[in-house]
Amino acid sequence: MTERTPVLSVRGLSVRFLLPGGRRVAAVTDAHFDVAPGECLALIGESGCGKSVLASALLGLLPANAQTAGGALLGELDLLTAGEHTLARTVRGRRIGLIPQSPAAHLTPVRTIRSQTEETVARLTGVRGRAALRAAAERAAGRAEFPADHLDRYPHELSGGLAQRAATALALIGDAPLLLADEPTTGLDRDLVDRTVDELRRHVDADGGRALLMITHDLAAAERVADRVAVMYAGRIVELTDAKAFFGTPGPRHPYSRGLLDALPDRAFTPIPGMPPELGALPAGCAFAARCDRATGDCAVLPPLTDSVACHHPVPAAAPEDIRA
Amino acid sequence: MLELRAITAGYDRRAPAVRDATLTVSPGEAVGLLGPSGCGKSTLARVAALLHRPDSGEVVVDGTPVRRWRHRAPRELRTAFGVVFQQPRLSADPRLRLTDLIAEPLRATGRRASVPGRVADLAGTVGLTPDLLTRRPHEVSDGQLQRACLARALVLRPRWLICDEMTAMLDASTTAALVGVVEDYRASTGAGLLAVGHDRTLLDRWCDRTAGWHTVTPPALVCGT
Amino acid sequence: MRCDPMADPTAVTKTVWRTHGHARRSTHTLRLRVSAALVAVTVLAVLLVPPLVRLDQQAVDLAAKLLPPSWSHPFGTDDVGRDLLLRCVYGLRVSLLVGVVAAFTATVIGTAVGATAGALGGWVDRAVMRLVDTFSSVPHLLLGIFVVAMFRPGVWPVVISVGVTHWLSTARIVRAEVLSLRSRPYIDAAVSGGASRWRVAVRHLLPGVLPQAGLAAVLMVPHAMWHESALSFLGLGLPTHTASLGTLIQGARGSLLAGQWWPTLFPGLFLIVPTLAVAGLAGVWRERINPRRRSELTL
Repeated sequence: MTERTPVLSVRGLSVRFLLPGGRRVAAVTDAHFDVAPGECLALIGESGCGKSVLASALLGLLPANAQTAGGALLGELDLLTAGEHTLARTVRGRRIGLIPQSPAAHLTPVRTIRSQTEETVARLTGVRGRAALRAAAERAAGRAEFPADHLDRYPHELSGGLAQRAATALALIGDAPLLLADEPTTGLDRDLVDRTVDELRRHVDADGGRALLMITHDLAAAERVADRVAVMYAGRIVELTDAKAFFGTPGPRHPYSRGLLDALPDRAFTPIPGMPPELGALPAGCAFAARCDRATGDCAVLPPLTDSVACHHPVPAAAPEDIRA
Repeated sequence: MLELRAITAGYDRRAPAVRDATLTVSPGEAVGLLGPSGCGKSTLARVAALLHRPDSGEVVVDGTPVRRWRHRAPRELRTAFGVVFQQPRLSADPRLRLTDLIAEPLRATGRRASVPGRVADLAGTVGLTPDLLTRRPHEVSDGQLQRACLARALVLRPRWLICDEMTAMLDASTTAALVGVVEDYRASTGAGLLAVGHDRTLLDRWCDRTAGWHTVTPPALVCGT
Repeated sequence: MRCDPMADPTAVTKTVWRTHGHARRSTHTLRLRVSAALVAVTVLAVLLVPPLVRLDQQAVDLAAKLLPPSWSHPFGTDDVGRDLLLRCVYGLRVSLLVGVVAAFTATVIGTAVGATAGALGGWVDRAVMRLVDTFSSVPHLLLGIFVVAMFRPGVWPVVISVGVTHWLSTARIVRAEVLSLRSRPYIDAAVSGGASRWRVAVRHLLPGVLPQAGLAAVLMVPHAMWHESALSFLGLGLPTHTASLGTLIQGARGSLLAGQWWPTLFPGLFLIVPTLAVAGLAGVWRERINPRRRSELTL
């Protein structure tokens, strides 16, 4: 594959929150990854590991008590240092399309879906005129499989799945080169999840220059459409590897990722013992050591991300592992 | 034996959420109810837990038909059901610490003395460490809060467990952990379970049998979303 | 395509942190401090001046009547020679007292009515709301005048008048809050856990409602003070020998036409400044209890 400029290039991104009382919460620490054009990168991890904070940082939507470090290059623009004006005018919607986690909170409750879609079409594309706007809005709704007869409803009248589809439709309007999907499948049925992620994948495949960064804890959805997988634990990326190798053979190499896959109902269905550490009180060494059955004395030192895994004793890449289906 | 016969229920008499649903759960059995979102499974689950009065139909618990619902239902019958809901954030009173949240059913039924013992017991079972117990809901993650809600549902040793999309918002490891807790409880007490969800793989793995929504209600009214 | 971290991880020593704060925060603190300071000064003055300054506010000195502000009388004197600064402080004390008691009464009535309507629902709710609508359709000052006119001038008729006219907005706010809380699953969980109706209302619904009710009470104090002042100005509220801000302004009407501005201005200022301060504090409080801001950290 030719080396093309990545659509998004994240280097050393860290986010921390300053809480009253001097406490610091390190929500994201030292994230490094690229998203290449035509690629879907799935960022997976438990709830509370910092994934959504990363998404907020990329869009400049962090609260006032947040501090960032590092860089996130979208083409030429560093998202972390760009001003609000630049982000609002050129980035959001146009260069990054956000598919939010809770559509009910992101759709204006006092306007119909049709009026919100038409407004977005009018702002982000060059379409003008009532008839053209109406047609464009219906086309946009159709791309996310949102039924046209529901366009005149208000968000509170829609079920969770329909609201998610409406939010997806709005995100796709601007034809943004990078789609950022923050838990797009929460609360949706299995086949609706499949349809949603397939639609996102179609959007990426349609034009070789687009990319998708999908943040999710739904491993089945990630398996379905991702090209590469990044596993996040306690604010750090602990594994960054090819999706087929991750979900198939030889399987994940970091003990946490192995545990995560083993917890699926179609595999061993066993949980990982213990609970993730508090982001405000992270241990000095490897954050997973307390729950890891392969932990040794080395784990008191933070393992760097080498060869796609951040672990002192990853499962060897060459050993074929039997994954019970 | 928990029997739901021809239940029609909803929030508007003219447009019921559930029409003519029939379902039976034998003692000690785990039944999964699989259906798309928005089709009324949650309403049926609430009827089964005696939290919602159906417009028509009958609910029979251990041979006795249920005549009164919600606050009017006799306390022993109400507390025979343990319910866990989909959204932990809305299922927890934001003012109560987790330890008070779990202890609340004990206090409400006059069993104050057993509070410390039971709470410590259950917290250990669901995997909550003591330092988490003193926190309020906004200081813990969704997974931890859902564990506390499950502990609350189990604290009165119910004979029937109703899990309405208990794990829909949780990651794989927490899902496996909570299902494990439910199954351990059922193995030791022989409680029956009605698990409502939309994830076929999970329900097939978890429950003894899975009923599709189209088998529970007459097919003419299967909803589309 | 592999991703190679460009930076050598072991070389990361000093991270440069950037803040994403907004300028808005600084005015927020300024507003908070100014309002809090003004309220503190008001309360201190009202509590400390009467016992400490042993001058008689009723001391009549006809030789010193209607003197403009000077060093010995910072606010001047009124038409019978009484020191106006002292009268204003006493007046503020009375107005504040009446305002607080009346606001509290109105809030208690409103909370009780709103919570009952919200919790019981059905025909009770509908009947109560129609009652609220009926009361709302009457201009509240007119209704207030009607109420005080039934009694002899005094403090309690004024308190009743405010209570009867101002409970409506609290009732609406509390009812809305109760309705929204009732549909939450945690109420269902409490019912399933064996809680009686009373326990659900007192342990789960009421604590959810109290912040809003408390805020409504605080916001009501300025209203109550103004209502009392309006009634006193019209001669219908407190008896004229009692110095409240309203009676002071009423008594000063005549001198205004003669060119003496100070007997009207200073009581007026004493009415405006504390009410603005209380409103400012309540505004800051309202932002804090807005649920959206309760946790700024969402992961």
